[in-house]
Amino acid sequence: MQKIKLEKLNRNEALRYMGHRGEVSTALEALMEKCEAELLEHISPAFIYKVFDIEESDEAVNVCSTTLTLRGKDIREHLSGCSRAVLLCATIGPAVDSFIRKKEITDMSSAFAADALASAAIEQVCTMADEIIKSQLPDKFFTWRFSPGYGDFPLDTQRDFLNVMNAQKRIGLCLEESNILTPRKSVTAVAGISDHQVERKKRGCASCNMASKCNFRKRGEHCGF
Amino acid sequence: MDFKSLLNNKYILLDGAMGTMLQEAGLEAGGIPELLNLTDPELIESIHKKYIAAGSNIVYANTFGANRYKLKGNSVEEIISAGISIAKKACGEKALTALDIGPIGQLLEPTGTLTFEEAYSIFKEQIIAGRNADIIVFETMTDLYELKAAVLAARENSDKPILCTMTFEENMRTFTGCSISSMALTLNGLGVDAMGINCSLGPKQLAPVCEELMKWTNVPVILKPNAGLPDPVTNKYDVLPEDFAEQMKTAALHGVSIFGGCCGTTPEYISKLKSVLEETDIKREKIIIPAAVCSSSKTVIINQPRIIGERINPTGKKLFKEALRKHDIGYILNQAIEQTHAGADILDVNVGLPEIDEKEMMVSAVKAIQGITDAPLQIDSTIPEVLEAALRIYNGKPIVNSVNGEEKSLETVLPLVKKYGASVVGLTLDQNGIPPKAEDRFKIAEKILRRALEYGIPKEDVYIDCLTLTASAEQEAVMETLKALKRVKDELGLKTVLGVSNISFGLPNRAMINQNFLTMAMAYGLDLPIINPNIDAMTGAVRTFKLLTNIDKNSTEFIAAYNDAVPQKPVTEKKSGTVSLSYAIENGLKEDSASATAEMLKNHAPMEIINDILIPALDKAGANFEKGTIFLPQLILTAGAAQSAFAVIREKMTSENAEPVSKGKIVLATVKGDIHDIGKNIVKVLLENYGYTVIDLGKDVPCESVVKAAIEHKVKLVGLSALMTTTLKSMEETISLLRQNNVNCKVVVGGAVLTQEYADQIGADFYAKDAMETVNIAKQIVG
Repeated sequence: MQKIKLEKLNRNEALRYMGHRGEVSTALEALMEKCEAELLEHISPAFIYKVFDIEESDEAVNVCSTTLTLRGKDIREHLSGCSRAVLLCATIGPAVDSFIRKKEITDMSSAFAADALASAAIEQVCTMADEIIKSQLPDKFFTWRFSPGYGDFPLDTQRDFLNVMNAQKRIGLCLEESNILTPRKSVTAVAGISDHQVERKKRGCASCNMASKCNFRKRGEHCGF
Repeated sequence: MDFKSLLNNKYILLDGAMGTMLQEAGLEAGGIPELLNLTDPELIESIHKKYIAAGSNIVYANTFGANRYKLKGNSVEEIISAGISIAKKACGEKALTALDIGPIGQLLEPTGTLTFEEAYSIFKEQIIAGRNADIIVFETMTDLYELKAAVLAARENSDKPILCTMTFEENMRTFTGCSISSMALTLNGLGVDAMGINCSLGPKQLAPVCEELMKWTNVPVILKPNAGLPDPVTNKYDVLPEDFAEQMKTAALHGVSIFGGCCGTTPEYISKLKSVLEETDIKREKIIIPAAVCSSSKTVIINQPRIIGERINPTGKKLFKEALRKHDIGYILNQAIEQTHAGADILDVNVGLPEIDEKEMMVSAVKAIQGITDAPLQIDSTIPEVLEAALRIYNGKPIVNSVNGEEKSLETVLPLVKKYGASVVGLTLDQNGIPPKAEDRFKIAEKILRRALEYGIPKEDVYIDCLTLTASAEQEAVMETLKALKRVKDELGLKTVLGVSNISFGLPNRAMINQNFLTMAMAYGLDLPIINPNIDAMTGAVRTFKLLTNIDKNSTEFIAAYNDAVPQKPVTEKKSGTVSLSYAIENGLKEDSASATAEMLKNHAPMEIINDILIPALDKAGANFEKGTIFLPQLILTAGAAQSAFAVIREKMTSENAEPVSKGKIVLATVKGDIHDIGKNIVKVLLENYGYTVIDLGKDVPCESVVKAAIEHKVKLVGLSALMTTTLKSMEETISLLRQNNVNCKVVVGGAVLTQEYADQIGADFYAKDAMETVNIAKQIVG
């Protein structure tokens, strides 16, 4: 598996997660810069992916020769017209968690910034992983990444998802009883693969189950999803 | 045949993968392979038989994931005992059966929520279920802490040999950051029968990992690698049987003597491996393991002066005692971080105070400290039960402080040191006190060493403290300490440790005396000075000594510590010392805020600063935040700056015996199942700034603990936070338990997925949309 290395983090994205708008003060700029540099030393990106045949059933999509069933109308719609899907697991590692924990003791504003930067980092890793996957399967068309918890795609899919991917053995990705991934800054996602161009709804609030309680929406903004 | 007799062979051959064989036989990915022990025992037996036919001396029973977390309600006892019976049947007299145990599948706290004790209990259940096996194997472990729980569970519930293998990446670390030396030092201490490496990569990439491991242990070493890496599309592994066997030769030449295959390997790999090993010379030389201690990710080799930070100790410290009474772990963690930043290599942890439960406190403190620092710890207590409780849950190889020459001490402390594989500080005193003469202290050191060796503790793990006496009271004793130290070092060949600052009690200019005594002691051979690393002169003396004795080659460490050009100062610090307190707070300048406060305290009363500057500055920031002219990042920066001002004020007031008045207590918790606690911690900082005492229960807090704390502290307000839709349920349960118990308090809830509507639905009194609103609610309810 190719290695991913992050040279810099998407600070603007992190500021957005932090609820910041407008001009960035010198103190905030300095904080972000310092946290980014420190965080980069603790990030160790790892990802695995695997391509499966899929087949639609009435209520769900089955991932062939696995125990994994992708339930819900949203994921079904998302994968319609695709004969295969790629499953992705990615993490930036447990050292980030302990780094943020340490910052929470000594300096809450650094912890807050580091937490947001780490969220930006895992997104960056996923985007880079996407590129690698696409380059391995030239001439194919992909839908965007869809994760358990999006729309009506249940969060408790995580367990089978991780088992099928052997994610603990391969990248150290585990699951809490409450279906929270650990290390904290980790992602699982499915993307459909097709031989033809696939029309998909744009990502957006309509396909998000957080729409009614989203902080971005409350502020009249959009998270970028 | 048993494991011990197998060790007389030139090498031992394990089996290859079970999972790979099962998938070839049609098992769906993601299925629970252990269920096949009940549904298709013939299939499992046939796989074992193929491996035995290929030459395996030991087969791993099909029990890898058979724990109560992964089995989802299936019987652990039934599935494991069936797995062992199948393997035994396949083995007959030809091979041994290993109870195979992999990771539980959940991360331990603090990253996850699984406690060490729960992990122990999960493993214990597996070990008891697998009692008929010949050997216990723990494999594919990435968390040393989890592995320690497993090994203790095996030691205490079985007498079978224990084999451990962990999974390392090419950077010589496991996913959780465990290093080879940390694994080896910890497992040597716990007395396992063999250790090594499995899974992750192919034999070629793992050969250097084995080579490194050979430097740290004398027990037989295991290598059980993958057949390379799987292709994401075809799922085929990329190292073929012949190449696999050939590549394993390197490890054999390094002295590895137990071999097998992990993911992707089949009986063909094992038989090829056997033919190669038959023709390979395997030699192993006994090594001397360096004197060292470790956390799970950092090893400190005692081959030069290493600083033990002494600050986590309540003796003579009002604030520390107060923190212990309030169970304020955050205070202790700050002490830990400050000392490691200042240059401490190891941290002494002493939380003894007559009026608290020292054992509980020690366990909480050690767990919390090892969650935020990689410095190894020295467990410091006079009570054996406290020592044992801490040794059990310590993640690595710690130092025990201390044992002395008295028989009672030797026979209670040394068995603990042996059982948990720690190092130990031996004080040269006994029932008759501290001998005045060097030669008598030397005799006690000799006795301690002799007794330690009798208990099976290696010489390298005994550190002798020749005890510093006060120069003002016993001036003639100073050189006796140093003479004894030198003899212990030269004649017994032991490492030495010494608390330094006692020397200057009752004298002026203590710092100068301490520093000079420290330098003298190092010249006499002191390895482990116990000092306050935050005092520059002390840490500086150690750094200088290392430079002058050619330990710090090219003065690298020294220059890194003192050359200002290296650490670049952030932009904000430029104005340091010149800005006003209100400016510093408004602009979120933490250091300036602290220094401006210290400056103001010279001419102003603490309450005056709080009421005239801090509170108005916070109110202004709060109002601006609500208006939307500043945003959360600035609000938190402001809160952080105010917090550092409050810390300075609190210290001043405590030193004058005038505790700042609290506006009242508030309990905060991130609910059961949820580990996202950053929002809750932001709320905590704001509430504390406004003068409330926050009882912070942390994350993943059971409903009962919230109720207990609310009753015990008689709080008027409880704040609950949750980030996941899945954990909102626990929030609801917590509220309902509070109501059932008629706890007379209001409940405020917050978190990303909450809404006013949902808050109403689960019976909360308030919904706070952000941290500032919680403060407003607190004002309303608590006052």
